Amino acid sequence: MSVAVEAKKLVKDFGSVKALDGLNFKIEEGEIFGLIGLNGAGKTTALRITSTLLQPTSGTVTVFGRDVVKDAAEVRNLITYLPEEAGAYKNLSGFEYLRFMASFRTKDKAAIEKLVDAAAEISGLGDRLKDKVKGYSKGMKRRLLVARALMTKPKLAILDEPNSGLDVLHSVHVRTLIKRYAKEQNVTILLSSHNMLEVEYLCDRVALVNKGKVVVEGSPTELKEKHGAVNLEEVFGEVVGFA
Amino acid sequence: MLEGLLNIIIKEVKELVRDPKILLGMILVPLVMFPLMGFAVQTSMESAEQSIQETSIALIDQDQGPYAQNLVGNLTKFNFTITHLDDLTVDQAIAQIQDTDITNLVIIPSGFSENITGNGTATLTVYTPFEGGGGIAASAQSATITGLLYSFESMIVDERIKAGYPEANVTEILNPITLSEKSIVKGKSADVSPDVLFGLMMSQAVVMPVGVMTLLIFAMQLASTAVASEKEEKTLETLLTMPINRTTILVGKLTGSILVSIVGALAYLVGFTYYMSSYTGLMQVGAVDLAAIGLEPTLASYGIMGVSLFMALLSALALAISLSVFADDVRGAQALVGPLFILFIVPMMFSMFTDIYSLPFPLSIILLAIPFTHSMLATNVTFTGNYIGAIGGIIYMTIFTIVVLYIASRLFGTEKILTAKLKFKGFSFRKKKEQQSS
Repeated sequence: MSVAVEAKKLVKDFGSVKALDGLNFKIEEGEIFGLIGLNGAGKTTALRITSTLLQPTSGTVTVFGRDVVKDAAEVRNLITYLPEEAGAYKNLSGFEYLRFMASFRTKDKAAIEKLVDAAAEISGLGDRLKDKVKGYSKGMKRRLLVARALMTKPKLAILDEPNSGLDVLHSVHVRTLIKRYAKEQNVTILLSSHNMLEVEYLCDRVALVNKGKVVVEGSPTELKEKHGAVNLEEVFGEVVGFA
Repeated sequence: MLEGLLNIIIKEVKELVRDPKILLGMILVPLVMFPLMGFAVQTSMESAEQSIQETSIALIDQDQGPYAQNLVGNLTKFNFTITHLDDLTVDQAIAQIQDTDITNLVIIPSGFSENITGNGTATLTVYTPFEGGGGIAASAQSATITGLLYSFESMIVDERIKAGYPEANVTEILNPITLSEKSIVKGKSADVSPDVLFGLMMSQAVVMPVGVMTLLIFAMQLASTAVASEKEEKTLETLLTMPINRTTILVGKLTGSILVSIVGALAYLVGFTYYMSSYTGLMQVGAVDLAAIGLEPTLASYGIMGVSLFMALLSALALAISLSVFADDVRGAQALVGPLFILFIVPMMFSMFTDIYSLPFPLSIILLAIPFTHSMLATNVTFTGNYIGAIGGIIYMTIFTIVVLYIASRLFGTEKILTAKLKFKGFSFRKKKEQQSS
């Protein structure tokens, strides 16, 4: 099994604020890997660097062996990124949005339609995809965006709080979808969440992030056993000193 | 690259033209507003003409002499309704015409005919009720009656000249000099009055700079919206992680904004032209044979105007996009871009009213340092013949555009597009890195 993502001694400063302070993690191909931590821990910054949006102050991240700074264009061919607060073009219909996004991946019209069909199935939005995005509820928009991120079967999908803003039923739908899709299509997934119960269900391995560093890493079962905890929330409390 | 660019352009155009604010504000309003204004002007002109025909005059003839009768006869010839109030005093007459449709009160004083016959000066008094309304129509009615009285006066002058010089031609006596106005155009004599040429130039000096300014303002607003709305709608991050060159995204946004703003500017110009055409005869330049006097726009002058306008558009858009990178949302971007409009308005005003090169040297230099001044000067290149100046202007604008495009592409190519922010604090600009969301 090859290494999908590797972050080494990753540091990111925003002026006087140190968002990442020597972050390290490694993800194997086909894994669902979760970064978990409190708000402001540095999860989103790590994801933005991995998705080539931000540049590290120091340290490196590689995606399937390509450096996210030096080989940014190649990395973008391998990844899709779903930001936490993402939107879609409100004056386009769901179908138009998906076609627009699919057209960056392939020039073949039939292939674009195939991707759009896949996205339509993932989102479960049916005929509502004909409507303009501005008429969508928050949950519908999120399903559209998750479908957009997964439709192209990327080598690596980077999902920042994939269930952000979704109600319980939609959360379960999206969560199940991500898990099934990752395994069926052999897509590596790097996600972040502050919902530790969700991460426990979804992820093969997790890294607990605190103040820009990984404080502990392993599979949810390993971590629970090691710390004698019932769930990841207790593990987190144990490690960072809240419990 | 090309297909990716085409995708971005199509998306940009769809997003822009489907936005009700843009569709309404930039395309429909000019198309509807100006024709409506033109309709209002035409209607009021027709109403003025109608009211001239309906002029109704009250008259106190205290003279009853031959010239008084002659004057009344003249007024009657023009189908004016005349109400004789000869038995009333002026004050009584004024009170009587109050709240009636009477438009003027003419007083012919006693001794009127006698003064004229004796080659003296007679006085006519005309009262016009002023009610503060009526606009052009009221003013036209007042002008009509005084015009008629002046032509009556001319008739008396003719009579006097004929009496004194029976053999002479009255017209020649009144017009001892006939002025034949011609112009020198580009060193050659032209059989055209300079007034006509000034009128022609004014039509260019007004319409073209206004058109250029409108196009630039539309384009800048759209371009700033193009980036800021991506930030506001949280679509920018996703777009930036797509496998497409950042410069392609920039060029796509520039092109989309150019296309839509051209449609907007055309709508504005169509509406504006219709509005101007409602002032019929305002600029009567159609009769001038421009080719004969060497003022017909040539391929070179069209080329210079086109290239100049394109460079101005490109630099304005790149400037707007670069600035809008520093804003979080559309309102912020428009607030940042708004002050730049002064860079169009000031050169436009100057080029409308004066020759920028003839201004005091420091002022002229300041104006010429504004790149957009050159695109406005270029609109008049056919008249000025200053091709070297126009080409120099294009070179200057090209350098400016390259610098601004370079800055824009640098902002797009790095994380600054997400993190750059202008902060107004302590009267100073400060770039602040992003507020971390995690």
